[in-house]
Amino acid sequence: MTPFSLKIVTPDGVRYDGQAEELVVRTTTGDVGILAGHINYVAPLGMGEAAVLVDGQKRYGACIGGMVSVVNGAVTLLPTTFEWADEIDPDRVEVSREKAEEILQNNASGTTDILLAKARLKRALVRKSVYSRKNR
Amino acid sequence: MAGVSTKEIKNRIRSMQATRQITKAMEMVAASKLRRAQSQVLSARPYFEALYGTIHDIVDANSDFASPYLQKRDGNKVLYVVIAGDRGLAGGYNSNVFKLVMAELAGKEATVLPVGKKAVEFFKSRNVNTLAVHYGDAANVSLGDCFTVAKLLSKAFLKGGYDEIYVAYTSFVSVLTQTPAVLRLLPLIRQETGKEGERVSDILYEPDSVRVFEEIIPEYLGGMLYGALCESRAAEQAARRTAMDSATSNADEMIDKLSLEFNRARQAAITQEITEIIAGS
Repeated sequence: MTPFSLKIVTPDGVRYDGQAEELVVRTTTGDVGILAGHINYVAPLGMGEAAVLVDGQKRYGACIGGMVSVVNGAVTLLPTTFEWADEIDPDRVEVSREKAEEILQNNASGTTDILLAKARLKRALVRKSVYSRKNR
Repeated sequence: MAGVSTKEIKNRIRSMQATRQITKAMEMVAASKLRRAQSQVLSARPYFEALYGTIHDIVDANSDFASPYLQKRDGNKVLYVVIAGDRGLAGGYNSNVFKLVMAELAGKEATVLPVGKKAVEFFKSRNVNTLAVHYGDAANVSLGDCFTVAKLLSKAFLKGGYDEIYVAYTSFVSVLTQTPAVLRLLPLIRQETGKEGERVSDILYEPDSVRVFEEIIPEYLGGMLYGALCESRAAEQAARRTAMDSATSNADEMIDKLSLEFNRARQAAITQEITEIIAGS
């Protein structure tokens, strides 16, 4: 497949900068696959898995928030946080998930706490599912 | 007569040495903090640049102007997010930003969101309208805080609370140079590049341009604020390091001069004593 240039940059640094053959990300309206020669495009990102095809090899990452854009053939992914599957710490994810569930099950939690906990739970679940793809 | 003067000089040397020790320690602390802040800036900068570049590409290619974030308003209500330090003794770091902001504020109905203790104090004493003084600790503002502020700001902008939003920060050019800067965050105004070939042609927005900007702008603001904060933090440490370095070398110079004076006074006292003894015998 024809490669295109892909950049994944987060506030913590550059996570990927190079050629890729395919990018699949979850936008707020659903999963989107991008191949070379895509039309100029912008979409806000949701929370979900990102899959990048590099040299016929699929790499998975947990991609949360931000935006994806294609400008003149160059694809830029600007998430708030991004971790490759092998960078995820499963213990931390589990702790985060338990804490979020605790808050959700507690009737005394305020509305903002519940919203934050829901987002946290979602992030933990995304990371968990990405981590499970690590060894495939 | 001579005895009093040597004692005085001795005291001055001692106090100078104490000051030198403090400035030297502050320099070392700043140097080690600078190293951390510098690596943070270097990792945040690509994001900062990519975000700015992409947003501006998208805005320049926008042709329907449907999003309120892209519309220029005639109002005079501006908001400045001013990022300064928590502590002084950093050369001109704090005052340079303030000077720039005060010059910009003239003639505008301005509100300031100060970040950092020095900024909070400065705008309080000048009776400038301030918003949310709870970011009085610039060193502890996190990425999450930036996004929270960004959401508040974009909401206030949409409601018409502010017509323009700026951020004032200090850009970390190098360890020796830091320049204060003001950047307009909102509204995003389309620039005519003039050269048709360079312009990005039509962009596909999903689901549509209004909603895309609605989602992306708070992210953009948050990212830009975080970037400005990282730059400012590194600039503060660099400015402090330089200021303390020159304070230390000034103290060294002073001590040298005073030691010379002290030795001369001591020698003069001895000579006088000998002369008196010889004259007396």
